[in-house]
Amino acid sequence: MKMSLFYIILLIIATSACDTASQLFLKNSINSLSFNINGIRKLLRFLLKLALVPRVWFALSFSTLSLFIWLFVLSKADLNLAFSLDSMHYIFIAFGSHVVLKERVGLKRWGGTLLIVIGIVLVSLTGRG
Amino acid sequence: MFKNRLTLKILSFLVFSDILETFTHFCFKKSALPESGLNITSLHEATVFIQAMLSSGFLWIGLVSVLATFVIWSAILSKIDLSVAVPIASFSYILVPLVSIILLGEQITFLRWIGILFILAGVIMVSLSGEDKKAAIP
Repeated sequence: MKMSLFYIILLIIATSACDTASQLFLKNSINSLSFNINGIRKLLRFLLKLALVPRVWFALSFSTLSLFIWLFVLSKADLNLAFSLDSMHYIFIAFGSHVVLKERVGLKRWGGTLLIVIGIVLVSLTGRG
Repeated sequence: MFKNRLTLKILSFLVFSDILETFTHFCFKKSALPESGLNITSLHEATVFIQAMLSSGFLWIGLVSVLATFVIWSAILSKIDLSVAVPIASFSYILVPLVSIILLGEQITFLRWIGILFILAGVIMVSLSGEDKKAAIP
């Protein structure tokens, strides 16, 4: 049985929000390390140090939550449709990066991000062949 | 500080991370596919759903792939801005339809290909925005 579109959209907003929160926590943790990775050994040390940052576990929790909602959505909706609606998280990410991480999101970056969202919406508007 | 420069090396890591992510989503769709007839309205039915998914081999392959993606993704984020890395990762919107056609038997219409072109243009634009930032810092 197919779920109504409204619930699918609601669930995808939830999974996008969780994913954005997860990415912001992860990037924030990585920024706090300011580590330069070159080579496998450095990478392993980086991962070990990263695991010791408490915020990273928030990132993983949000990521897991997002994954479970996503798995549920996938069992109900077409892969293409689900991916298409998930495009809203690009706007969340651009906004979050600017507000939380103080990244400089310029006109070009916003423009490119919006082009991507338009592209994904275009993909979602077309029915199945 | 040139920390945010997007090099060819980082770009190839991003593409690899995308291929892994595409593979992950393919595995998850495969593991969720047999349960699509289930209508989950109660906690009991949710438990049945989760149990059925846990017994699928595709779910576990997908989870290993998630872990590998996480490691690569963390390495990428140590080099570039989040607001650059995430849009460029949308490259998977080009990979996923291809995989959907080949392995899941889904169909892609002409308009969808136009949408994919938009995404490609957006990815290129975001990639170039990193250079802007470098120039903006005196």
